[in-house]
Amino acid sequence: MSFRQLLQRELNALWHEPWQLALISYIPLIGIFSLWWLFNAGLPRELPVAIVDQDKSQLSRMLVRQLQANAVISPIHYQDVGSAKASMEKAETYAVVVLPFQLNRDLLTGHQPIIDIRYNAQYLLVGKLLSSQIQLSLADGLKHKALIKQLASGVPMAQAKVNINPVQTQISALYNANSNYIVFLLPPVLLALGQLLAMLVFANSLNRELRLNTLQEWFSLGTRRVLFAKILVYTPLIVLQGRLILTLLYQYLGLPLAGQFGQLLLAQVVMLLAVWLLVLTIFFLLQDSARVISFCTALFAPAFPFMGITFPTQEMPLLAQWWRLLMPSSHYIDTHVGVVSYGQSFSAFTQQIVSYWGFLFLIPIIVFLARKVKRDTQVVLSKTQCSEVN
Amino acid sequence: MSFWSLMMADLKSILTDKAIAVTIFGGVLFYSVLYPLPYLNEVPTKQQIVVIDGDHSSLSRQVIRHINASPKLDVVSELATIEQGQHWIESGKAHGLMVIPDGFRRDLIRQEGVTLAYAGDANYFLIYSAVIEGLMSVGIDAGKYVQFNGLLARGNSAEQVKHDLEPIKLNSVPAFNPSLGYTPYVVPGVLLLVLHQTMLIGIGILGAGQWGREGYWNRASVMQLILARSMVFALLYSLFTCFYVGFCNYWYGVSVQGDMLQVMLFLIPFILSTAMAGVAFSCLFVRRDLPTQVLLLISMPILFLSGFIWPLELIPAPLIGLSQLIPAVPSIQGLLQLNQMGASWTDIVHLWWQLWALALGYLLLAYVGVRYRLNSAVAH
Repeated sequence: MSFRQLLQRELNALWHEPWQLALISYIPLIGIFSLWWLFNAGLPRELPVAIVDQDKSQLSRMLVRQLQANAVISPIHYQDVGSAKASMEKAETYAVVVLPFQLNRDLLTGHQPIIDIRYNAQYLLVGKLLSSQIQLSLADGLKHKALIKQLASGVPMAQAKVNINPVQTQISALYNANSNYIVFLLPPVLLALGQLLAMLVFANSLNRELRLNTLQEWFSLGTRRVLFAKILVYTPLIVLQGRLILTLLYQYLGLPLAGQFGQLLLAQVVMLLAVWLLVLTIFFLLQDSARVISFCTALFAPAFPFMGITFPTQEMPLLAQWWRLLMPSSHYIDTHVGVVSYGQSFSAFTQQIVSYWGFLFLIPIIVFLARKVKRDTQVVLSKTQCSEVN
Repeated sequence: MSFWSLMMADLKSILTDKAIAVTIFGGVLFYSVLYPLPYLNEVPTKQQIVVIDGDHSSLSRQVIRHINASPKLDVVSELATIEQGQHWIESGKAHGLMVIPDGFRRDLIRQEGVTLAYAGDANYFLIYSAVIEGLMSVGIDAGKYVQFNGLLARGNSAEQVKHDLEPIKLNSVPAFNPSLGYTPYVVPGVLLLVLHQTMLIGIGILGAGQWGREGYWNRASVMQLILARSMVFALLYSLFTCFYVGFCNYWYGVSVQGDMLQVMLFLIPFILSTAMAGVAFSCLFVRRDLPTQVLLLISMPILFLSGFIWPLELIPAPLIGLSQLIPAVPSIQGLLQLNQMGASWTDIVHLWWQLWALALGYLLLAYVGVRYRLNSAVAH
């Protein structure tokens, strides 16, 4: 069989398998679209915060207005601390701000009053964001109050501003100027999805040979040649999905992109080759379609936390850092961040490619396992032939 | 066939089927270690930053010493230009930078405002927030230090000066997860999802392998088969749930506020509705390698839809509506509120009823599905 016929064999197999077709056509589209839709808001806005205003003074109302003016906060008034607390326990509000009784009076008479803020740290992301935003808004309001005090004591406006705030700060969020969650979270989430799809597509293609009992045919056509045909058919198809993701993120949504797509697509090809090696190892080891899928799933499902985007890599325990290296997606994400944010050079890219070296050790293992499977199928075949002769 | 022998037959096929046994026993154990593994150090500390000190004064050096003293930060180098700093960030040697301008000390003492510039690598939000929080507190301290000394020099009393600098105290305290740790944040929700997914996969593989073939499942009535199967999985998963919600929460230091009996009561319809959903779900497949694939693909969306990672207020309503049909979603929400956030039973009872309704709904679907599968097998 010529190599072209082998490619046709793969395409034919793909065409006759509805689930496999779905995995390379509408399932990625639905997956990418729904995850994007989910995070579409991008910036957290109008998160409910319980306010208990026990003072009901001009000052406390001014502070509530300050909170109201913050885009992240949506203040909801509660009459007492108990009901505010209950609303937080029900996750109806994410934080509680208590403006205490006689806040204004204590401030004027020089007793340092305390404004209590409690935020939901079980929902860590929302909680931390609200804590800093609430403090910023309240501090800003209090500064305004202090400014008036300074002005009243005869300090000129320019000097009063400096007195209150001698150290100004200028904060820059590098590579993601407005701390957008789409920039932060969507690329790794979609990458994790893409890797899962790639793994499934390749595992299904291998499993089909098991299910239809065509392993013998595969081996007689040349183990390596059929494998190359599979790689040659599925790698471009999956890279196409990767290109689609890049198009959505950096062209349609227009997220900041410092480098070029070329490096990213090349990095995707290398990542896919690593995925193929892992899947092949598991396939030749287990030789049962349901178990191959289960095992691959167990391996690839937790790829996302190990990428090191949500929780930094160097803070992980050593064991987790080793496990991270098993995941092709964690190697790829380094290139992705490098290209998208830092516009890294090609030499940095080659260094990242070298980090895949460990996967090369899978090749002899695959060869060994494949030979064993080949021998076993031939033994089974000759036995059935013997029994047919008898 | 009696109900009891049907259950035993189901249990036997679970235990002897390697694909199922590996998924539910292996998966449950494996994930209880693997998912929390990256987060065991809880909070990022000692983030590397570089300082561009244009002032070289006693005060700027003191600021740098303060940065080094902060648990969140670690100054790895002092550089001459911002470009160098950015280069350090891009090569991964640092995650943030601080610029101390020329004349920092002089301007502060002469009461002319100064500007400190901080920047952090916002590719990694956790690192970014650690860097910025650390630098902010150092910067504020530096300003206060100068103000403090200035006011003292003008003859105010130390007590009075402290007051003037901070007329109102903002006391911001994290609730429910006092250490702000990442494990207590992720573990309770994710582990419940693992239970949900592995149970659906297990039942799915079991059913997909049986439809269209001859076996003990053909010798029972439809309702009997559904009830026996969900009962076997429910019993197995009661053990797994005890392990996760009991032992793992304790082991990973998750703060637990719920009452044990209430938590158990809440989890009963979770297990039952998931088991019923599993039987209904299994009727969609006749190939044993497919249920795992479908569930794998929807795992991440389910996690994000359960509301503790990305706030529900920001998720489009149609997605929220759809997610309410998945037993894991109300279960994670309810369990977090009941067990971690100390909500009362009446606060979450609507989720409890929702889970019972789901159990009933999926029981009906399972009835339709299993009857179809068993009848079509007879027809062949």
